[in-house]
Amino acid sequence: MATDRADGQNAPARYTESIERTLVTIEMMPVPGGIVQMESPDGVRTVRVAPLWISRTEIPWDVYDVFVFGLDRGVAGADAIARPSKPYVLPGEQFGHQGHPAIGMTFVAAESFAAWLSARTGRRYRLPTEAEWEQACRAGLEARPASTAPAAWTRATSEERTRPVGTSAPDGLGLFDMLGNVAEWVVTDAGDPVAKGGAFTDATEAVHCGARRRQTPAWNASDPQLPKSRWWLPDAPFVGFRLVRES
Amino acid sequence: MQNPGKVNSLSRREFLRTSAAGGVGLAALGGAPARAWAAGSDTIRVGLIGCGGRGSGAASDTATGSEGVQITAMGDLFPERVASSRRALAEQLGDRFRVDEDRMFTGFDAYKRVVESDVDLVILATPPGFRPAHLRAAIDAGHHVFTEKPIAVDPVGVRNVLETASIAEAAGLAVVAGTQRRHDPRYIETMHRIHDGAIGEIVGGQVAWNQGGLWHVERAAGMSDMEWQIRNWLYFTWLSGDHIVEQHIHNLDIANWALGGPPARANGVGGRQARVDPSFGHVFDHFAVELEYPNGARILSMCRQQDGTARFVGEHFMGTKGTSDGQTWIRGAMEWRHRADGEPVNPYVQEHTDLVASIRAGRPLNELRQVATSTLTAILAREAAYTGQVITWDEILHSDLDLSPGELHFGAVPMPPVATPGITQLSRTPFAHSRDVTTGR
Repeated sequence: MATDRADGQNAPARYTESIERTLVTIEMMPVPGGIVQMESPDGVRTVRVAPLWISRTEIPWDVYDVFVFGLDRGVAGADAIARPSKPYVLPGEQFGHQGHPAIGMTFVAAESFAAWLSARTGRRYRLPTEAEWEQACRAGLEARPASTAPAAWTRATSEERTRPVGTSAPDGLGLFDMLGNVAEWVVTDAGDPVAKGGAFTDATEAVHCGARRRQTPAWNASDPQLPKSRWWLPDAPFVGFRLVRES
Repeated sequence: MQNPGKVNSLSRREFLRTSAAGGVGLAALGGAPARAWAAGSDTIRVGLIGCGGRGSGAASDTATGSEGVQITAMGDLFPERVASSRRALAEQLGDRFRVDEDRMFTGFDAYKRVVESDVDLVILATPPGFRPAHLRAAIDAGHHVFTEKPIAVDPVGVRNVLETASIAEAAGLAVVAGTQRRHDPRYIETMHRIHDGAIGEIVGGQVAWNQGGLWHVERAAGMSDMEWQIRNWLYFTWLSGDHIVEQHIHNLDIANWALGGPPARANGVGGRQARVDPSFGHVFDHFAVELEYPNGARILSMCRQQDGTARFVGEHFMGTKGTSDGQTWIRGAMEWRHRADGEPVNPYVQEHTDLVASIRAGRPLNELRQVATSTLTAILAREAAYTGQVITWDEILHSDLDLSPGELHFGAVPMPPVATPGITQLSRTPFAHSRDVTTGR
């Protein structure tokens, strides 16, 4: 784990997580704590979010493959966490693989990835809560540096495919693709999975910090097995995730 | 046992038998088989043979794809497969699932018991090596069939199925195969345009199924050769036909659809580089085969199952006037792109909807000859790579290649060697048994 200086009073320092026996890394960026106004059917709720780290990009295939295909096998304890089944047909496999966000995993699979990474690194990673995710998204919109890259990969900019992570404009926290590219699995207050922030398949106006979608039967309609896979959503190439760690 | 419809359905079963026999006579006279469904509201009773994930999924798709369809019998070699499938289907289907204890069968003869039970339609979803015997039993009993692909693993099996197809055609029975792209509006509309000349005459193309590895079951202590091989059926040619037959048949079927028939000859390469452990049986992990069609068109077929390699599943055709991916777009003299209207069609459900509708309308769909042709195309491609020889359609159609293992029981089954191009012969019987021993026919 490499760290550099702390760059905010509220925030811990950024660092780079690595996984033993592999060459992949995950950059973790500090997010300041704050108050989030969450819209809900019962009106606006105020939620306090503590400072935390969030991964700088959506988790790319390069990292997710280590988990799926057991590329870290041979490490003691590497098999303590259940791993996904080998995928039959991956959603969006024509988009590209290396550097592209991992997509089409179920919420359970994304949670399992976090548990596996925690076991492998000894640091506790998990999916963001919806409030944490929105705090990071909204804080990132402030002081956004000028860039010639698109602010978000949406239907208007993406040419109907995912784009490699880190190729849009970074936000004020240095995060990429909080908006667009792929919608990201988070946990609501009620413990439900929803996917946040809009995706490359969405119109520009549908890509914002409050954007959320729930899984529907269409997301795995073409899985011909019963029970359907608990790991893969072959018809949801617009869903991925990133991780947080409490500071 | 609660089965209030039993008396009625028994009489309907007798009707079906009589009606099927009548269909033979009418067909012989040159008329259309008169097999209109007794009444549009009649329940169609379905027996599931092969209760793995795909068989259970097919049963669910059958029961939800049309009104008035009920799963009433099920069979599998392994008791725990029947039990888990029953749980999943009962939860999924509610009262469309009515399988009583005495309609749940296990063992190598489970398929016979399902076929003998009071069903109108059977779903065949066991490993493909068993399919010729199961198809014949179902059709002989006068049942309509949904069969997973492929329908055989060797030419002897394909010829058996072609005979079964003739019996089914004469009896007016419906057979739909799990080549679900044939029921996908995107493919149907694109192929319609290709056949109308949108890209001119097809001169070449590529079809591919490139992906990573698949599931694999560890050999438990005390597991017989037979059980271990069947639980890992993907990795044994007598059971799966190898991945070019079991999986890539989907894309080869699209090539045959586009070209209007099977290739005239095949020449290809293949081998086993990444998946070399004996726990993965003796199949290859990659093939690349050139298929030459009667009009001279050359289609490159490529497939692999190797972890960590580039994925692609799809097709591409080049004609004298344009190109197409066979499923969404046409470029060249015609510029066209498929646009879906309304709810997307799920071809895995649509194939069952089409099957049931054809039965009820008295115009039974019969895809058995078509899927047998595509199965033999895949076997031709496999054998070109296994042997390293150019093989013609006539040679493969009449080949005595018989991969069946002999008597089916939980005991010793030797593993044939991995094929070696230049040494492996097309004419081979790796277990030195005739198929009659395997099927008991």
